[in-house]
Formats: sequence, structure tokens, C-alpha cells
Amino acid sequence: MKRKSIVQIILHLVLIGALAVVVLPMIYMVSTSLKPNGALYEYPPKFLPGLKQITLENYAYILNQGKFYINFLNSFFVAVCSVLSAALIASALGYVIARFSFPGRNFLFSFIVLTMIIPGLTLIIPQYQLAVKLNVINSLVGLIPFYTAWTIPYSTFMIKGFVENIPKELDEATYMDGGSVLTVFRKIIIPLAKPGIASVSIFNFLTAWEEFPWANTVINDNLKRTIPIAISGFFGQHQFTQWGYVFALSVFSLLPILIVFIFCQKFFVAGLTTGSVKG
Amino acid sequence: MKISKKGKLQIGLLLLPGLIIFGTFTLYPIIKLFVMSFFEWDFGSIHGQNFIGLQNYREVLNDKYFRVSFANTIVYTLVTVPGQMILGFLTAFLINQVTRFKVGYRVLYYLPVITSWVIASLVFKYVFNTEGLLNYFLVNVIHAAPQNIHWLDTRWGGLTVAMLLGIWKGIGWNMVVFLAALQTVPADLYEAASIDGANALGRLFHVTLPCIKGTILFALVMLTIGGFNVFTSVKMITGGEPGHKTDVVLTWMYHKAFGTGAFGYSAALSFIITMVLAILALIQFRMMQQKNP
Repeated sequence: MKRKSIVQIILHLVLIGALAVVVLPMIYMVSTSLKPNGALYEYPPKFLPGLKQITLENYAYILNQGKFYINFLNSFFVAVCSVLSAALIASALGYVIARFSFPGRNFLFSFIVLTMIIPGLTLIIPQYQLAVKLNVINSLVGLIPFYTAWTIPYSTFMIKGFVENIPKELDEATYMDGGSVLTVFRKIIIPLAKPGIASVSIFNFLTAWEEFPWANTVINDNLKRTIPIAISGFFGQHQFTQWGYVFALSVFSLLPILIVFIFCQKFFVAGLTTGSVKG
Repeated sequence: MKISKKGKLQIGLLLLPGLIIFGTFTLYPIIKLFVMSFFEWDFGSIHGQNFIGLQNYREVLNDKYFRVSFANTIVYTLVTVPGQMILGFLTAFLINQVTRFKVGYRVLYYLPVITSWVIASLVFKYVFNTEGLLNYFLVNVIHAAPQNIHWLDTRWGGLTVAMLLGIWKGIGWNMVVFLAALQTVPADLYEAASIDGANALGRLFHVTLPCIKGTILFALVMLTIGGFNVFTSVKMITGGEPGHKTDVVLTWMYHKAFGTGAFGYSAALSFIITMVLAILALIQFRMMQQKNP
């Protein structure tokens, strides 16, 4: 009994020690955002600001710039719209592929899954030309169908798995009561696959919220930028970087993700592990 | 079960939005990319010019910058994939043994995963700055280096920073995946092994690892794809500098496409990368099937 508790203490010590290394960069980000701007290029560099040094001036600067509110709203709008459309489309695809046989079903599913192998960015040239043709360059709304299309394969793959775990008898009972294919989708599939749809949606939100290369390529207008583009916009403007501003804005942009993560971490884990443990 | 005509119509209705979005924004670009790779096609010319067969492919494969970026990508993948798998597995293994605060550890170790690539890259760039915190620590505090190391302006320095970031950001994902797998290993197998006289290391190699082989291969496939997808970190940390020595395949492709307008070249490059990944994934899937008869 005693030996066991000593082992436990050692395990905790190792885990906490390793954790300290893992979270060090994030603590440094927060501590830098609390330093006065003059101290950012001081030498020797300090990990933490002195107690009297701590200031909120970087946060005040960010909050006083109207454009960052707009960047935030932009990110939020694009992420929510992409997540909702991907959830709806992928649930419909997952349901139909899991439940009905139709010509080309296996081909469709294999093809959707295979596209997950293709690095998303390799399609950027034809997608850019497509965006030009559709006249959605420099348009926020134009980001949504692209993000939706990127997240469909993984979402469909996961939701199909969840639908397959719903007993078919429930579908049949609904048909007996005179329900249609759409009734089953609305009354059985969506409510029962909700945990799966939720976990997929959290990932899709993260994807859209942090997406950088595509938004950086098609959005030029300052007021149409999403948050990651706004953060990277601190570079190249001036000779030296205002790291305090960069990290204050970074902390702000991490907050929504942190909140979603802490409240939904059960779904996070479900979404990660459903596909991985079966093998 | 027979499906009525109305039912068939509704099935079609459910499929339609997905087919339209997927067809327009994924399938069409894939086909277009393939076609472009055989044409002399530059920025500005919306319509392709001359059909040049495999010329673009030849140009890519003979390009020394492409070769450097390809080598960098391979090194990045070879280092970061085992790196995050081993550290992620060890973390999961330890968390699986503790009796308290399991959820707390899981949440905290996962934080780097949900930090966006842009932000994580900037933090690393700041830490590894020549006059930055890490160099100060290495030179003036523990005296491990005689002078400040130029992390960000050399090929291997820049890649090291990108690889450390990749490993740091990936540990949490591996931890969650392996933790779930560890919980499926039947406890009586450990007991049986203990009775047979296996020590902790013996149980790890003869019970745990064989039981989670499926998960190991799943992680291997996903992380290899992830390794080839590396873009934002390299773009933000070094931007391929100095002289494209730290470029990976995607940053080099992006530079050729949007920096010089060589669309045909970039299309061929994209296709080569996709083929390499497809072959790698196929080999790994084969391994997975062979080891799970």
C-alpha cells in the first residue's frame, strides 16, 4: 500500500515536470503580453515581467482599435456558417451512405475518404481560379463554401460511423408509422447522432477559426480579415515587431477556443477516438 | 425494405447539397489541377496555353530548390512523427497509471493542440530569436553554448525550430488517442503476464504495444499526412529563408504559384506530392492489414 502511494507521487512529479515544459511557451506568451512595450527588446530578456512592470497597455491598445472587433466578428461569422453548413451536409451524406444502397455509393464514400490524403493546400491554385471565376476574391462569404468543402470528408466519415451505431429498428418503426426518409433523418438520425455531430463541429470550428493560408491568399481588405490574418498583419508593417500587441491579440483569439474546449472536452475526446481505436 | 418513389426523391435531395459543394470546391479543383500540370500555364493567363506533356514534371524533378524542399519535408516527417508518437505515448502511459487528476492532465496536455498554428509559430519565433529568451538561457545561464545561436537564419536551425514546434503541438493529440487505446487493453492480460514473471518493461513490449498496434498504425498514417502538410509554421517562422533553404514542399509550391506565377509548375509539384502521400498511405494501410489478420 505504501509503496503504491510512493509510485503515485513519483508519477505525478514526472507528469507535472513535463507539463511545465509543455505549457512554458504559453505562459511566456501571456507574460509578454503583460509587459510594457519598452521592455520587449530589453536585454537580458526576462521570462516574467517584474511585479511593478505588469501593465495592461497592450490589451488596452487592442481594445481601442475598432478594426480588431471587426476581425473577430469576421472570424466568428465565417466559422459559424462553415460549421453549420458542414454539419448539415455531412449528416445528410453520412445518413444516406450508411443506410441506403444506390449506384455509386461505395465509390462516393471511398472517394470522399481518399481526398483526406490530399494536402489541402495543393489545391490552392485551381481553387484560387475558381474563386476568381465566382467573384469571391476578397469576400468573407466566399470563404464559407471552401471551408465547408474541406471539412466535409472527415465529418462525413465520422458521422457515418455514428449513424451505423443507431439501431435500424428505430428507422423501421418510423416507416411503419408512415414516416418518410426525411422524417427519419429529422426525428431519429439527427437527435441520436448529436454527440458525433457536436464533436465533429468543434473540430470544424477550430479549423475555420485558425485557418491561415487560404484566407491570407484571398482576403486583402483590412476590414475583411479574419483573426489569424490580423495577427500576422503585425509583421512587415514596421521594421520591428510589436510583440506585446501580437500576443495580447493572440490571447484574445485563444479565449473562445479555450471556452469551447473546456466545456466540450468530452466531445473533443469522442471525436478523436471513435475512428482510432477500432483498427 | 422497398423504398418508395418519394423516398428515392428525398434521398436524392439529401445527397444533392453535398454533391454540389464537394463536386465544385474539391472534385473540380482536383481535375483542374491534373489538367493544368500538363500545360504551360502562368499567372495572368486564365486559359491554358500550350500542351507540353510532362515538361512541368521534368522541370519540378530537376529543380534543385524542389529537391531541397522535398528533403526538408522528409526530414521534418521523419523527426516529428516518431517524436510526437513516443512522447505522446509516454504521456498517455503515465496518465493511465495515476489514480487522480487524469482529466486535468488530459486537458492541460491538450492545450498546445488547440493553440492555432499562427500563434504557436509566433511564440516559437519569439523564443528562438537570436537575442531571445532561449539563447540567453543557453549562453548566460547554463553556459551550454559559447555564443547566441542563429536559430532562424540557417537551414538546420530554422528546421529545428519548426520541428520542435511540430512535436510540441502534436504531443496532446497522440496522448488522447493512445490514452483511449490503453484503456481498451484487457486488465487480465497484464495479470497473466505478471504471473508468467514479466516485469514492467516486458508487459509494455509483450502486452501493451501488441494490443494497441491498430492505433499505432492509425496515428502513423495520420501524422505522416500531417508532416507533409506542414506549411503555416515554416511560412511564419522562416518564410523559407535564407535563400529557400528552409522551404518545405508546400511553402515552395506556394512561392512558385503566388510569388512567381508558375501555375503549371506548381500544379505538377502538387500532383507529385499527392502521389507520394498516396503511395506512403497505401504502404502503411497494407502494413495495418498484414499485422491484423
